[in-house]
Amino acid sequence: MMHDQGKRLAKVYPEPAVQELGAEPTLDREIQARIGDKLRAMYDELLEQPVPDRFAALLERLGQRGEE
Amino acid sequence: MPPEPAIRDALLAAVPSLRAFAISLSGQVDRADDLVQDTLLRALSHIDRFERGTNLNAWLFTILRNLFHSEYRKRRREVEDPDGSYAARLRVQPEQGARLDFEDFRSALAKLPHDQREALLLVGASGFSYEEAAAICGCAVGTIKSRVNRARSRLASLLAVDDAEDLGPDRMTRAALQAIG
Repeated sequence: MMHDQGKRLAKVYPEPAVQELGAEPTLDREIQARIGDKLRAMYDELLEQPVPDRFAALLERLGQRGEE
Repeated sequence: MPPEPAIRDALLAAVPSLRAFAISLSGQVDRADDLVQDTLLRALSHIDRFERGTNLNAWLFTILRNLFHSEYRKRRREVEDPDGSYAARLRVQPEQGARLDFEDFRSALAKLPHDQREALLLVGASGFSYEEAAAICGCAVGTIKSRVNRARSRLASLLAVDDAEDLGPDRMTRAALQAIG
C-alpha cells in the first residue's frame, strides 16, 4: 500500500528536465553568467582575507636597509 | 638600493590580488605566500625594468606566473592534478568556517587543465583584459580567448551535471520514496 503510493508519487514528476534544457536557448548564457558570478565570489573571498604581516614587514625591512 | 616609499606602498597594495591569484593557481596558502614573497623580492631587484606609468599589477602577475611555472616544471606531476590533490588542498584552504557553497565550484575548477584555469582566473576573476592576460602568459590574444572559452564550457558542463544530480527529479523522487517507505 505504502509502496504503491510511492510509485504513484514518482510518476507525478515529469521526465528529467533534459528536454527543457535543450529547448531553452538562453540557459547556456545564464549558466555562463552564474559561473562568472561564482568565480568572482570565490575570488573575492580570497581577496578579503587578511594579508599576513610578513609582507609589510619584508618591505619595511628592505626599506630600512639602505638607511643604516 | 632601498625601494622608494611609493613603490613599497604600491607593492603592498598589490599583495591581496597576488595572493588570491597564487592561492587559486597553487591551491595552497603556504606555497602561495612564498610565491608572493618571491615575487615582491624579484620585482624590487628588477624595479628598473618596470616602465613607470604601465600597469604594475600586470607586471607583478607576470613575475608571479613565471616563478610559479619554473617551480612547477620541477614538480610536473602535480600540474594536472591526477589524484585530485589540488582540489583537496583548495577545499581546506579558505579561512576557518569555509564556505561550503564554493566546494562544488572549487572541485570543478580543479578539474580544468592548468592553462585554462590560469586564463580564466586572469580574465574572469582578476579583471585583466584579454590583451593583458596574453601579455602575462606570453601567448597570443586568440589563445587566451580560446582557453577562457574552453574553461567556461567545461565548467558549465561539470556544474550542470552536478546541478542535475542535486536538484533533478530522480533524487527528489528517491527522497520522496524514502520518506514514505
